[in-house]
Amino acid sequence: MSFNEPHIDYAGISPLIALTVGLCVVLLSAVFRPLRRTAPLLTMVALGATAGLLVWQWDDPKTLITGALRLDDLAISISLIAILTAAFCVLLSLRERATEEAGSGEYHALLLGSVLGMTMLAQATNLVTFFVALETLSIPLYILCATNLRREGSLESGLKYLIVGSIGSATLLYGMAFLYGGTGSTNFAGIAHGIARSGLDGDPLILIGIAMAAVGLAFKTSIAPFHQWTPDVYQGAPTPITSFMAVATKAAAFAVFLRFFDVALGSQLDSWQPALAALAAISILVGNVGALGQDSLKRLMGWSGVAQAGYMLGSVVVASEAGTSALVFYLAAYAFMNLAAFAVIVARERETVFGDDIRGVRGLGAERPLLAWPLTISMLALAGLPATTGFIGKLYLIEALVEGDYTWLAVFIAVGTMISLAYYLRVVAAMWMRPEGERAAGARPAIAGASPEADPVDPEAGRRWSLAGPALLAAAATVFFGIVPQPLVDFAEHAGRSLFG
Amino acid sequence: MNTDWFVVLSALLFSTGALGILLRRSPMVILLCLELMLNAGNLALVAFSRMVGNAQGQVFAVIVMVIAACEVVVGLGLIVAIFRRRLPLDVDDLRELRG
Repeated sequence: MSFNEPHIDYAGISPLIALTVGLCVVLLSAVFRPLRRTAPLLTMVALGATAGLLVWQWDDPKTLITGALRLDDLAISISLIAILTAAFCVLLSLRERATEEAGSGEYHALLLGSVLGMTMLAQATNLVTFFVALETLSIPLYILCATNLRREGSLESGLKYLIVGSIGSATLLYGMAFLYGGTGSTNFAGIAHGIARSGLDGDPLILIGIAMAAVGLAFKTSIAPFHQWTPDVYQGAPTPITSFMAVATKAAAFAVFLRFFDVALGSQLDSWQPALAALAAISILVGNVGALGQDSLKRLMGWSGVAQAGYMLGSVVVASEAGTSALVFYLAAYAFMNLAAFAVIVARERETVFGDDIRGVRGLGAERPLLAWPLTISMLALAGLPATTGFIGKLYLIEALVEGDYTWLAVFIAVGTMISLAYYLRVVAAMWMRPEGERAAGARPAIAGASPEADPVDPEAGRRWSLAGPALLAAAATVFFGIVPQPLVDFAEHAGRSLFG
Repeated sequence: MNTDWFVVLSALLFSTGALGILLRRSPMVILLCLELMLNAGNLALVAFSRMVGNAQGQVFAVIVMVIAACEVVVGLGLIVAIFRRRLPLDVDDLRELRG
């Protein structure tokens, strides 16, 4: 008997190694007193190194760990979006109350853990890695949501997210068990092969598996009717974490959505396409109607996230190269739009006593144009107005849907966009139309009655580079890629080709 | 023994867990019910593994056990944090976030 050493492609798994090492170093930095302040810096270094290692392997698809992971352009592009969002989150977390409460080292280590899960999830091609990555992503997020220990809402959001997220995971696991039972393999390719070989078309085991896996993933991507947790958790979590959760979780979960349904279950197209299309339509309606009349900006972003998830699900439904490219483009655009908005929300939360209430941005246009412009651009882009990435993204999505014979879903996107103008423009109107005096007069009594739980007011927050910088950068990217979309389109088309090419 | 019975038992366990989450109000009991749902998945995996004749399902089940343990640890940690703040340990009374 001789020992066969396994072939290990260290270059391929180097991004995962970099993140794991970074996580350990950041966690240990909390132990050594002189290094305590360096956690954000170390986190940025780890994220930068990972991004570098990923870009290095661009356009060089490879299968890793006996087919458990696949590092292709889709995985790399989604991981880069997650890393960019995490880097923004680190900047927004500077001086954040939650960071101090939880300990800077622990907070940033958990953040890196979640990014590790996302990078792995975007590469997963096996039910086991899929599930492990999904939980590696989720469990740190449950804790991060609850890090503002002094605020009741933060703890409540952590517990709510844990319960609902775990129901989603358990449902997904049960669905996976049935898929394994039906096909005898946990590998995506093996599942596709198993379905084709034994003629399992319409087999109850497979159908139950598909249905339960779809429900589990819908919980994670906050698709209606499995979205009820979204507004609550978004509102309760510390705002930098909300921004990370809104963008990066969605990107990673949609990447695996694509891979799982288009690769493993591609032959069962007829059985899941109508179901997912219906979920997308419901999500667009419920999200847009729910966002009307929300006074909390974070809740508004939560509901808008439900609607946007509906738009994105449309591109999974058509299962085509155009759909995949459109999804990656939209996710990148969504990252810029959301990050600009959340950076401004964080700034106003620290500057005013209103928290994330819409009153906090009243008269912002006159008072702080440098904060008002990013939020305006972000809202207009989310609504899909021309000359922003939001417009190009929606155009791309609708084109993919029409090509894939789902014109009615494209009509839903158009109708949803019209409804969404009502609440996005309300924020813009609040910023530019209210007179300055009204806001200042309303602010005074609230300061006197502020509870000890409330975070201290920092009137200079919006002038600090750590908040104004990300807001302006993300807004500039939103406009730039709306006018010159070609670089982002190339990026997205590479990703699309890697799955279908 | 026929695999069907294992699958029926796992379906029963899964439904019991899901019902428990819907009906009970104590976060502790809800965590127990979550465990029940995850373990229903495990039972199904192990049963199918025997039926199919390869070990992939067994390996998956062992990994799921580790993950379930992590989830419970985080859940219990959150419950302790909520208890320390003297908030009600009842999911119907945790209602600061709504609208």
